[in-house]
Amino acid sequence: MTYTTFNQEHFNATKEPMFFGRNVNVSRYDVQKYAVFEKLIEKQLSFFWRPEEVDLSTDRRDFAALPDHERHIFLSNLKYQTLLDSVQGRSPNVALLPIVSLPELETWIETWAFSETIHSRSYTHIIRNIVTEPARIFDDIVTNEAITKRAKDITRYYDALIECVSLYHQLGEGKHTINGEEVNISITDLKRKLYLTIVSVNVLEAIRFYVSFACSFAFAERSTMEGNAKIIKLIARDEALHLTGTQHILQLMADGKDDPEMAIIARELKDEARQIFIDAAEQEKDWADYLFRDGSMIGLNRDILGQYVEYITNQRMSAVGFEPAFTIKQNPLPWMNSWLNSDNVQVAPQEVEVSSYLVGQIDSEVQSEDFSNFSL
Amino acid sequence: MAHIIKILKGFSFIPRNELTLLEALEQEKVDIEYQCREGFCGSCQVSLIDGEVTYTTDPIAFIPEGKILTCCCQPKSDLTIEIPGGCKLKKSCL
Repeated sequence: MTYTTFNQEHFNATKEPMFFGRNVNVSRYDVQKYAVFEKLIEKQLSFFWRPEEVDLSTDRRDFAALPDHERHIFLSNLKYQTLLDSVQGRSPNVALLPIVSLPELETWIETWAFSETIHSRSYTHIIRNIVTEPARIFDDIVTNEAITKRAKDITRYYDALIECVSLYHQLGEGKHTINGEEVNISITDLKRKLYLTIVSVNVLEAIRFYVSFACSFAFAERSTMEGNAKIIKLIARDEALHLTGTQHILQLMADGKDDPEMAIIARELKDEARQIFIDAAEQEKDWADYLFRDGSMIGLNRDILGQYVEYITNQRMSAVGFEPAFTIKQNPLPWMNSWLNSDNVQVAPQEVEVSSYLVGQIDSEVQSEDFSNFSL
Repeated sequence: MAHIIKILKGFSFIPRNELTLLEALEQEKVDIEYQCREGFCGSCQVSLIDGEVTYTTDPIAFIPEGKILTCCCQPKSDLTIEIPGGCKLKKSCL
């Protein structure tokens, strides 16, 4: 039960469940239980980008020209995004790596979390470019009540899982007394915590992030803060991939072929999991109140953003097999699709980065018949 | 060979051969969600009621049973599909 960085047992990793099986030993990908995780890794690697590639010099001027209430919207949104990626840059590693049992999934988790660190670096890049005192913005993330209130809900599932897993690694299953308090550690309980964590991560990446993207793109729809929108486009492309990752994990869990107990847990926790989606939607609407407290901006206000929250929540709920919670049927922000699509950016040809570009795709097999119609 | 695509509670049309199903629907001005257009985000799913499709690239997104990913498939036979939220036409962008 203690975690080991190199499990010396000889066993077939493809027979292990995704989580809570044996610790991974050899990082090998020649045989795989779920090939989809390697496809996700390859895709993520082909997306590699650096924030410094995006020129933000016009954003500084744009930002200075924004009215106060729009600066509040822009900066608050950016602070929220910074919080989300700070959490996502470390939590999948800390929470999931100690309990994962498949090499391809382990590597996907690491690749996933790494790409979030690029996002965090890009927020610093943006903030450095638009304000003279970045510290004031960063410091506010941990003191601003509207932000910390939401941070609690984003992290509590992660934190509960991490705490119990560390106790499990130290003490094993059973009843234990820690600091005078009795704790009961069981694998079933850990799996329940894991399931809820994955649901809340899906909500974070598939709903919360998209609400923040809507705000970023609303500025760019008016041809202001466009450098920022370019960065957010790259982030949105990564997040679309990550949410596919958690959707796959959730479906594999609910399906039960991977771990029959997980399927029972998924059924038992269905209402609770559904509630995580609904609660997050309500919190996002509260956040919209805070964003637009001093006034709306052209193209986006509290009500439209609230409708978008409901719309996107419905979509994400049905994607993981839950009954949608809201009545809204039509996307209130139809321009979102073209912003979210990362391949239609109009850029100079020399700076185009085709996302599907792969290195080393040259056909190196040349046979003599390839020269058959060649004569001197 | 040309195939007929029927949208439930909508209309039927015959797409051009070289188009993906998503492009074909867009040409008919059908309002449909999309994001990545290369098979990893899963936004452009529709329900396949009847018929068969072939995938031009292997999708990475999770596709539940009975659904297809329109951005990377083409009809292999006549199709009946249902678009989530119903068949709506795009308002003119002009």
